[in-house]
Amino acid sequence: MMTGISRMLTGLFALFAFSYAHAAQPADPLESVMWDYTREIFIGDADYRFDTSIKVEVPSFAEDPTQVPITIDARSLKGRIERIVVWADLNPIQHIFNYYPGDRASPKVSLRIKVQQSTAIRAAVRTLNGEWHIGYAQLEAAGGGCTTPSMGNADPYWQSHLGEVKARRFATDDMQGTRFKFRVIHPMDTGLVDAIPEFYLQQVELKGPDGEAVVRMELSPPVSENPVISFDLDDEREGYRLWMRDNGGNEFSRVL
Amino acid sequence: MRILTLLMVMTLSIPVIAAPLEYNLSAEKVALNTWFIEGKTEDFSFENGGNIVNTAFIVTNEGVVVLDTGVSRRYGEALHSLIRSITDKPIKLVVNTHQHPDHFLGNQAFDRAVIASLEHTRDQIRQNGDAFAENMYRLVGDWMRGTEVVVPEKVIEPGMMEMGGHRLEWIELTGHSGSDLVLYDHTTGVLFPFDMVFYQRALTTPHTPGLNQWRSEIQQLRQIPFRIMLPGHGPKVTDHRALDQMSDYLSWLDETLKSSAEAGMSMTEVMALPIPSRFGSVALRQAEFERSVVHLYPEYEVAVFDH
Repeated sequence: MMTGISRMLTGLFALFAFSYAHAAQPADPLESVMWDYTREIFIGDADYRFDTSIKVEVPSFAEDPTQVPITIDARSLKGRIERIVVWADLNPIQHIFNYYPGDRASPKVSLRIKVQQSTAIRAAVRTLNGEWHIGYAQLEAAGGGCTTPSMGNADPYWQSHLGEVKARRFATDDMQGTRFKFRVIHPMDTGLVDAIPEFYLQQVELKGPDGEAVVRMELSPPVSENPVISFDLDDEREGYRLWMRDNGGNEFSRVL
Repeated sequence: MRILTLLMVMTLSIPVIAAPLEYNLSAEKVALNTWFIEGKTEDFSFENGGNIVNTAFIVTNEGVVVLDTGVSRRYGEALHSLIRSITDKPIKLVVNTHQHPDHFLGNQAFDRAVIASLEHTRDQIRQNGDAFAENMYRLVGDWMRGTEVVVPEKVIEPGMMEMGGHRLEWIELTGHSGSDLVLYDHTTGVLFPFDMVFYQRALTTPHTPGLNQWRSEIQQLRQIPFRIMLPGHGPKVTDHRALDQMSDYLSWLDETLKSSAEAGMSMTEVMALPIPSRFGSVALRQAEFERSVVHLYPEYEVAVFDH
């Protein structure tokens, strides 16, 4: 009898100690099995908080898993951001992009991505004082987006138009600033399709009239083919330039 | 050992215990010799087995004309026995009205020598059929068991066809899927626009050649003096309500995408726009609007880039 009670107590104590140990790091609201693993990769052992003011906007279903629109909006932390790291927990290539806003950037970025199956999408925002704020959304998908050959693979159009940019300057949705939206021709091959090596844009920079980087991005292959990206800025100046480089060393640059 | 046996027996019996998958189709006589089988205005699901499409048949003196075969072999078989419960006449013609899976994957239940479609539709089914079928297995699961693509053997030429006392006019359009058949039965005044017209169920756009094209073909359908219209999805109507809803929604969608692109909006921002309350009675409006943004917005975006 006594043994039974003491065993129960030990068990309860163990449970308590276990939950206490985990209370230091918040549990994943999306309960993804990959959270601890991907978190370790992208933010290491750092403390973090889940922050619903970081908006991760995704459609209710990924109609085309090779072209899933997402918007990351971290304007609630404006002026304090060092970088934003965006990834998909259950993609074979988890990392999607890093975004580094300069002083004149308004931290809102939209683009299209590939997903392999339903997955949590994370936007980990590191502030200048070293805090991590994690925005998140669950994306439902049928899948296959990362292992489908790019459309360009069946059509040689891209070969003669690689890096060709179409762009336009708009007002932002709050009419307070400038939005640059552009499309660039690039196959963005993931390397996960048989006999098609990875070939993708790695670096994107929006340079101001003085040549300074106002927005800098590092892309990974899950960014969709022929990327369409929009950047928001708190800036009315003219003379912006877009600069990009892919993993084949090709550089592309043009005035916006 | 006994427990193991018991477990094995239990495992093996699960499929037997599970409720049988049955469509329980019923046909409504909507005009002389004309029967309408109305599907649900839902999306494909494990619950509805993909019974979201309207099918129909006409019992002419020469034999039966079947208009679409449904989403699966099981649906096709259910449709076949429903026809047999109503008439003994031979099935003379089975038509697949366009390339989408809910309109031709029931073909196995019918004699392949009498299955027909527009020529371009036949090419589309040959090219995309297997991918459509695979997707349907994912969407509705076991309802699809045994379903395989049967490509139509015969070609329907647009124009008049006399059959068993019915004057059937086949019209070739493109707005919904690139190759869309419409049937007007001059004898009964029934217009079958098939998926050129969705009513009270949001239209789908994965293969439309363009919203303006679709809209202008809806104008063309207004010229037909029909008495009853049986849309491809949604309830039958006796007036222009379904055409009005189509024109209205197509115009709104086109204008919304155009003005959004002009404003530089991103896809997720467009998806978050409110849908006007006048479409409040249309099933699946939000989901289909989001899908349409994915299908169509890239072209609107490219059109406004200035260099």
